[in-house]
Amino acid sequence: MDGLVRFSFYLFAASSMAIWVSAIAYIAYAVGRVRVQRQTMVTSAGSTVTSMSAEFGPSVQGVGRIGTMMAVFGALFAGFAILTRAIAAEHIVLSNMYEYSLVFIFFTTSAYLVFERIYGVRQLGAIVMTVAGLMTLYVWSLPSDMREINPVVPALQAGPIMAFHVGSANLAYSVLSVSFGAAVLFLIADRWAPRWLPSAEMLDDIAFRAVTVGFPFLSLMLILGSVWAHDAWGTYWSWDPKETAALFAWLVYAVYLHTRTLRGWRGRRSAYILLFGFASLIFTYYGNYFFGGLHAYGGVKM
Amino acid sequence: MAQASLQSSPTRSTSDQIIDRIWRFFCSVRAAVAEITFLALLVLIGTLRGSEVPRWIAEAFPFLQGIVDRWYAWDVFSSLLFALTLALIAVAIAVCTLNRAPSIWQTISHPRVATSRSWLRGAETSATFTRTGTADSLADDLSSVFAKRRYRVLSERIGNEVHLYADKNRFAKLGTFPFHLALILILVGGLMAAHYGFREQEFIVVEGDTRPVGHNTGLSIRLDQFTDNYTAMGVAASYKSDITILQDGREVKSGDIRVGHPMSYGSATVYQSSLGFAKSFRITDAAGNVIYEGSQPIGVFTLKGNPDAPAGLVDLPGIGGQLVFAAQDTDPANRPDLDTLNLNSDQLWIQLGLRDAASGQLVNVPGQKVELGKPAQIGQYTITWTGTNRFSVMQVAYNPGVPVFIIAVVLLLGGLMATFYFPHRRVRALVSSTGDSASVQLAPLAKRDWSGKRDFLRLIQDAQESLGTPTAVKLPKSGGDWDTFKPKTNAMT
Repeated sequence: MDGLVRFSFYLFAASSMAIWVSAIAYIAYAVGRVRVQRQTMVTSAGSTVTSMSAEFGPSVQGVGRIGTMMAVFGALFAGFAILTRAIAAEHIVLSNMYEYSLVFIFFTTSAYLVFERIYGVRQLGAIVMTVAGLMTLYVWSLPSDMREINPVVPALQAGPIMAFHVGSANLAYSVLSVSFGAAVLFLIADRWAPRWLPSAEMLDDIAFRAVTVGFPFLSLMLILGSVWAHDAWGTYWSWDPKETAALFAWLVYAVYLHTRTLRGWRGRRSAYILLFGFASLIFTYYGNYFFGGLHAYGGVKM
Repeated sequence: MAQASLQSSPTRSTSDQIIDRIWRFFCSVRAAVAEITFLALLVLIGTLRGSEVPRWIAEAFPFLQGIVDRWYAWDVFSSLLFALTLALIAVAIAVCTLNRAPSIWQTISHPRVATSRSWLRGAETSATFTRTGTADSLADDLSSVFAKRRYRVLSERIGNEVHLYADKNRFAKLGTFPFHLALILILVGGLMAAHYGFREQEFIVVEGDTRPVGHNTGLSIRLDQFTDNYTAMGVAASYKSDITILQDGREVKSGDIRVGHPMSYGSATVYQSSLGFAKSFRITDAAGNVIYEGSQPIGVFTLKGNPDAPAGLVDLPGIGGQLVFAAQDTDPANRPDLDTLNLNSDQLWIQLGLRDAASGQLVNVPGQKVELGKPAQIGQYTITWTGTNRFSVMQVAYNPGVPVFIIAVVLLLGGLMATFYFPHRRVRALVSSTGDSASVQLAPLAKRDWSGKRDFLRLIQDAQESLGTPTAVKLPKSGGDWDTFKPKTNAMT
């Protein structure tokens, strides 16, 4: 069984490399070709003036295709890492921050690929795959003993409800990472309007569609968490810091949806809300570092 | 957009105008956004209160220490301000929902069919088809195209022109109502639980003991056995309590409870929470009469002289006193300088307190160490530590809001899915004829809606099969993204 755990870790290592290659390829694809030109002129007074200018052009399609291919490999390796670990552990791999982050990497990469497939926008990968890549760095930074299989504490032995609660949270954060990526690109497109970036309207739509997928999962996470808490602790809601942090993120995205659908907010203001929403998700995700309380299960300590 | 439908008029009374203003306030989306933002701010303040963040702020900016102290002291989620904000949002949701209902129903059931050439000309995306035949036959064929894509089609003839209005997923617009109703129901469920339910958070029962639940339930719970298993690292792998529920002293239900697997009977549900150890004592007076015989949990009481030591308390109402006991402090994380008892693992420290008859004050007899099974004489009383056993920490709760919560969950998820995954798509078309040819210009109601425009262009692709190649297609100005959806056309703008 130890061999399977080690194999799972090697798969994660392979996934990390693929994801970083993918992120770099997507960044190169998004930035495009940069041609720096230097011009020297002699003025009538005889002095020499030198000017530098940068000319941007679209990148070759092959770079984008490498990004997609490596993202697919990253998702596959992460998926198999989860599968092999689940077989070795004989439980769903959501019991500590190592496993939770591994699943996040898989979901984020997969969610990005789905959006790339639907919208045909590879530039989005420059942001989203970087987020996934940063998460791989976080996983590498975790104590090595977290890579071992440990029995699940009784509080987490709640079967499908707990699995769907944590899984919904992970899926919501992953899809909302896509909306974050679209919001960042929107702000770039809106400010500088580079020709090779997708239109701002399309990026705005991607961000919105991602929220329409992520927000229900965020709601489901709160609901299933409440159902589980009712069975485990006798109450739906305990005002536990991690609970309220998730509620805060939910409220931020509720504000985004209301301002967008009812007040017609589009563009920069909506994008800024999404950046703030993503910051609140990060705050919730890493809440185990800040909070005590009932959710201090992640196996991380300051 | 939720807007107040009521207009103030000069002939209206002052009270009517005040009601109008209040109504408009609750209907205002701007106010709703401000309320949600304020609630989010309160939640953030309350969340950070449970963290080290305020302390870090005070360390970085010492002049903020006073504010940070007040921050830690303020229980946001129990505050009146928080309750009022929730109430305000609940009322706003209710009023806003009522206000929006007529316009939404109008859009669903009786939408305006007629359109104008100027609107079609100004539309960001549109398409025009021209072919020989009558306007009616072209309108019929276009209706068939809409029907294939599950659009409802309404038509209206005005003069020689046929106006078409097609939409799909219209009932999904109602999804906003169950969603917002669900939010109110969740608050109602919470209020029902708070006012009509009860919750004993630390319901401790020692193995073999029976404890009444109270709250006029007539129920008692007996802990028959407690079982726990640990990993090699000493972490609890599983634990369960075998319990019996008694109704007015009569056994009515037995079984085991584990974390996440409670047991219900009548109005009460019993949850497994945690575990601990208890110490058993036998106390007799000088005549040999048994004053007390039973067990009490240890580790739930803080000893004044040695706050880190696991301690317990036996209340002795029969003699108007109490017995305090403490065991060895085995936690290496505790401060050893506070451990003044210096107990071994097989020793307890006990101290008897007796109430002074004259003053009514509790007077402590000097404490002493005792060993298992060896009687100790304190005053006229003989105290024997007879053993160690386990106790189970349970929660006993009654939550009448559960059915309301379940209904709310279904409504919330159903409403969200209807709203987001079945967007209301609308298209307007104007069919006219000139001589022996007829033409139709159609455009989606999809201002700043990329997906709506994409769906429309797919519709145009489908329409080419029966209507032929469009004579003109106006693509969105944001060029470059629409190539994959570009219809086969001989005129592209």
